[in-house]
Amino acid sequence: MELTKNLTLGIYLPGKTALHCLDPRTKIAGAAGLIGLLLFTNNYTAYAFFAAFAFGLILTAKIPLGYALRGLKPMLPFLAMMWLFQVFLQKPPGSKVIFSWWILEATDAGFHIGTLMSIRVLLLFLMTTILTLTTSTVELTDGTEALLRPLQKIGMPAQELALTMVIALRFVPTLAEEAEKIIKAQTARGVDFKQGNFIQKMLKLFPVLLPLFVNAFKRADELITAMESRCYTGGTGRTKMKVLRMGKNDYYAWGVFLAFAAMQITLILTIAPPC
Amino acid sequence: MKLTTRKIVVSGVLGAIAILMGYIPFLGFIPVPTPAGNMTIMHIPAILGGILEGPVVGLLIGLIFGLISFLRADNPLFADPLVAILPRLFIGVFAYYAYAATKRINRGLAAALGGAVGSATNTVLVLGMCVLRGLLPMAAAVLVAVSHGIIELIVGTIITVVLVLGLQRIMIFEDDVGKAHS
Repeated sequence: MELTKNLTLGIYLPGKTALHCLDPRTKIAGAAGLIGLLLFTNNYTAYAFFAAFAFGLILTAKIPLGYALRGLKPMLPFLAMMWLFQVFLQKPPGSKVIFSWWILEATDAGFHIGTLMSIRVLLLFLMTTILTLTTSTVELTDGTEALLRPLQKIGMPAQELALTMVIALRFVPTLAEEAEKIIKAQTARGVDFKQGNFIQKMLKLFPVLLPLFVNAFKRADELITAMESRCYTGGTGRTKMKVLRMGKNDYYAWGVFLAFAAMQITLILTIAPPC
Repeated sequence: MKLTTRKIVVSGVLGAIAILMGYIPFLGFIPVPTPAGNMTIMHIPAILGGILEGPVVGLLIGLIFGLISFLRADNPLFADPLVAILPRLFIGVFAYYAYAATKRINRGLAAALGGAVGSATNTVLVLGMCVLRGLLPMAAAVLVAVSHGIIELIVGTIITVVLVLGLQRIMIFEDDVGKAHS
């Protein structure tokens, strides 16, 4: 069983476009702002405007459209199911029945709630995809740390959090190799992982999981010893090798974002929701 | 909140296992005979971290688990950060308190309770958040909780007991009074 072969962490698509070269702080805060706007958007016009903006972002980042939408495919059946749930199970008072079959009744309100929810989920997913396609995991942690640093004064351990994330990302390939070794070792001892019903399959997971966790704890112990013997004392007062700097493009990006946010908020406030 | 080196490193390494479980279906998912088809055990590292190393570690692993399921959502529900990240923070924390409250009676029982509470936290808070956020109607959430949540609860409990008791036999944790790591 080859576990490590297809292990690509993150879906970062290297590039030199304006969006790629923005400061990660701008991109993360911008994505968070856009996600925040999405959570309040409640009518079709505003969603259409948002989708146009998202499309613009994809064009700017020169992401092949098929590539950006590929991640959507596995979630479509489930999304369709969620839509059906909303259409047939939402019956707010005062809604009209637009379709009925057997014991199922679809209401117009349910239809609107379901459709708006589906659009929102798709756009939310697109926002995260654009962020992770144009920002590497290292930039993501760096940016998050920098954004959280002001909160350090009120006791938020920003640098420690970032270090935790970096350690986690660093250990994924190591532990994947470890897991592969364990699986091969147990296969050599005669465990057939492919056979059996789900209870047997769960039981067969123990001889893999337990050594994996023991190994993880051992590696953690080694790393703790290594860090403490090098006098790691936490984040306060540490300097960075690469300092993040906002450039001219970042200020343009903020201008674009604020203008878009203002228009989006106007659309949300002026157009009444369909239900 | 002061984080010791041990807490940072253990959270990171167990968080790596949570990420790994998401990437390697063999490790992270068990095929079960329910409508959803698969049940995940990605929340187990958070429960273990909470039980073995305390609530802060449990919270940090939950955060990593939440971030990963948000950033590479293959399920439309987890495209919403309030559904993907927020509920996951509590898995390890609640598991720790359930374990800590009962561990003087019997360690195995306490581990079972921790596992059950942790799994239930995941199911109930995620589905509750879905209802609050308007992603699922109440009836559908209850349906999922009953059909899927119960199996996940049982499997989560069994795996937690085996791993906690096994790990405690092999290694020494901060939790063991008198033999603590300094």
